Amino acid sequence: MADPILEGRGLTKRFGGLIAVDGVDIAIERGEICGLIGPNGAGKSTLFRLISGVMRPTAGTVTFNGRPITGRSAHDICVAGVAVTHQIVRPFRDMSVVENVMVGAFFGHRPRPRGRGGARAAAMEELEVCGLADRAESPARSLTLGGHKRLEIARALATRPKVLLLDEVLAGLNPTETDRTLDLVRTVRERGTTIVMVEHNLRAVRGVCSRIVVLVEGRKIVEGDPDAVLTDERVVSAYLGTAAHA
Amino acid sequence: MARNAAFAAIAIAALIAVPFVAPHAEYALDVLFLIFLYGAMATAWNLVGGFAGQVSFGHAAFLGIGAYATAIMTQNGISLWISVPVSALLAGAYSLVIGIPAFRLRGPYFSIATIGIGEATRLIARNWSSLTGGVSGLTLSSAPPLLLQYFAALALLVAAVGLAAWIRASRFGYALAAVRQDTDAAETLGVATTVAKTQALFLSACILGVAGSVYALHYLFVSPDSVFGFSTSIALVIMPIIGGLGTVTGPLIGAVIYTFIREQLAATLANVDLLAFGVLLIAIVVFEPRGILGIADRIRRMRKPPAVTVPDG
Ligand SMILES: Nc1ncnc2c1ncn2[C@@H]1O[C@H](COP(=O)(O)OP(=O)(O)OP(=O)(O)O)[C@@H](O)[C@H]1O
Ligand SMILES: [Mg+2]
Repeated sequence: MADPILEGRGLTKRFGGLIAVDGVDIAIERGEICGLIGPNGAGKSTLFRLISGVMRPTAGTVTFNGRPITGRSAHDICVAGVAVTHQIVRPFRDMSVVENVMVGAFFGHRPRPRGRGGARAAAMEELEVCGLADRAESPARSLTLGGHKRLEIARALATRPKVLLLDEVLAGLNPTETDRTLDLVRTVRERGTTIVMVEHNLRAVRGVCSRIVVLVEGRKIVEGDPDAVLTDERVVSAYLGTAAHA
Repeated sequence: MARNAAFAAIAIAALIAVPFVAPHAEYALDVLFLIFLYGAMATAWNLVGGFAGQVSFGHAAFLGIGAYATAIMTQNGISLWISVPVSALLAGAYSLVIGIPAFRLRGPYFSIATIGIGEATRLIARNWSSLTGGVSGLTLSSAPPLLLQYFAALALLVAAVGLAAWIRASRFGYALAAVRQDTDAAETLGVATTVAKTQALFLSACILGVAGSVYALHYLFVSPDSVFGFSTSIALVIMPIIGGLGTVTGPLIGAVIYTFIREQLAATLANVDLLAFGVLLIAIVVFEPRGILGIADRIRRMRKPPAVTVPDG
């Protein structure tokens, strides 16, 4: 990859004795949809936190657009153009749906909309894209899980990211909702946003991702073309292994 | 919004008229003065404790700094045109000194730290006798006319409530609301949460600094246990909670109730006012955490037919 938009090198995160992420090298190509898969506890969400500045890596570096962003604060990294959604949804519960999205519009990547009217208009656009426009004025806490997942995406999109990190946005959705969200992911990609998605639904990953990275116990074990990766013996045994434990 | 502004304009006009209509009702003017002063202080506290959700038990520190700064400068013959703004800025500067480390702490840890900061500030005032007069405090010789005090306090209240209303509807207000509801989520959406909290604290402290000036010029006496007292910090927490935490007018409503309870009950029986506040606080926390405004909201809803709720699409 000649010019990755986002690159992590030797990323490591220790929690006491546990190494959640262990020397991961990852390069994300401009404009791709990259799947990040692995069994529970593999360190996928932690890797997202290291990239998005929510946590500082114990070791390693993150480069975005050729510039180091390691150890910068989460808001700085969002403003720079890397947005992340939360696996466990984190709405602002006392705000309406549209106000939640306005926060992203107000504070994300530049250029920012002007004033409250501008932020509201930008937020409404994202709600439209995410199929939540009819719920704009509802309290955020009144949404269903599917609604909450779409709100996470709408809020992240409102920050105008160059790279969007989606953490299990399909988890808990029914098949119809899953298809809608996958269409949404493709639409976002077509707008020119690079996407990395953590996902347990391997069928969905195969359908939408152009490349897959596999994490097991904090380490990257395989990466490449979806069909090749998903039939790789090491990947199959890692998944079967956890299935046997579960 | 326009209705609120019209209502505010009428209320302000009426309050401006009161001293001219009833120039001899000194007791009423005095009570109104206290309501303005407490209302402004509670509104200022609410910017941090309500809007940003950072509950401070040490806000008397800013009042005290404003009060002492004005007292000292006035004793040295410095004009109020200088001493009042300087008092505000000193309180603001102090808020930066303490806010930057304190905001590294979250939630209850922040609140506990503010207790320590408030008490430490009071002890400094007690012991730095050469500047503060120590335990016996400082006395001023002449107060500005009551009418001037009345209008100064009213102006401070209008400025504080106006600022709160403006902040609430602004981009900054969204940052504070996001901080209150989920600081980490706010960070990932680009909100510089520590900066937002620090700015809110700075504005809050400046208003309390001016309130301190008004206080010093009214009572002509400042002492560590009065202006820096823990009970003052507690009063600043109680008023917004009674009226409605995080709302624009709640702290003012709380100040009205607080002032009446204090004026009426404290005169009849010692400490019965404290009992009343305790009971009121428990009742609010148990029955309606949104305070008086929450109760008003419930009554309005009871009258109106319930809104049709659309199921999630
Ligand atoms: N803040 C934390 N403190 C301590 N341990 C943590 C913390 N966050 C994650 N871990 C541990 O790090 C490991 C990786 O967790 P992580 O959430 O990154 O996994 P994941 O791949 O996202 O899993 P899942 O698919 O279940 O979401 C797990 O063992 C988890 O318990
Ligand atoms: Mg995870």
